[in-house]
Amino acid sequence: MAALESETRQSYLVFACGSSWYAVPAEAAAEVVTFPELTRVPGSPPHLLGVFAHRGEVIPVVDMSLLVGGVTAGSRRAVLVRLSRGTLALTASSVAGVSALMGALEPLGPSGVHVHLRGPVKSGSRDVAVIDPEGLFDHLSQGG
Amino acid sequence: MLPAGRVEGTLLCHVGPHRIAFEAGEVASIAAPDAGAVSAHRAFQDSGGFQRVLVTAAGETVGVDGLEIDSEVLSVLPPSPVVAGASGGSLRGFVITRGVLWPLLRLDGFQRYLRGLDGEGA
Repeated sequence: MAALESETRQSYLVFACGSSWYAVPAEAAAEVVTFPELTRVPGSPPHLLGVFAHRGEVIPVVDMSLLVGGVTAGSRRAVLVRLSRGTLALTASSVAGVSALMGALEPLGPSGVHVHLRGPVKSGSRDVAVIDPEGLFDHLSQGG
Repeated sequence: MLPAGRVEGTLLCHVGPHRIAFEAGEVASIAAPDAGAVSAHRAFQDSGGFQRVLVTAAGETVGVDGLEIDSEVLSVLPPSPVVAGASGGSLRGFVITRGVLWPLLRLDGFQRYLRGLDGEGA
């Protein structure tokens, strides 16, 4: 169980969506924004709340709580995760800040979005799921 | 001819609380409601009816609640890969007008997508 006691080398932005805590690598977390009224995209799944224009880019807003099968967090704030292929906004009901994490980075499930959530990881006393941003982006782009 | 990233003449359509847009050149005519048209509400997971019908060059029909015509040249913002596959790939991008974003769709592709949803629901 040595992996469970190891400290991750990266820094992560830790945030809550509903009752669950998530983390994204700090270098991918561009900013935290309050987003305006969203435009729904026809044919999009419920976890894709809509899009908004930000600095010339149309950014999709994803509710992680809905994505993992929970109820919507109902937040108007989001963490912007910037990748080379585009930006994702992940709704955040609260933001804990940037920290190192203790634990392992194994997929939390064998299929679906859980493949792109890693752990078990702790941030202080909180259980946190670490998001693999590239994997999540691929998953969402494939209609996940 | 306009660059690929611009449209001149856009039909701005209302579907319940939602918005969609089509390049005006893709719409052969606008007609009164007809029982054979497929409602754009289906793309938003609701079952609302429609007041106006957009007719494609092939005679296929899509129903919306209301529409406005915008004659300005509008830039088309590309869709994120995360949403590019929505509506069966009929999403061209987004335009900003009237101070808000509008998903810009290909009418024929959107019509086929809606028909496909009807098939799933059958």
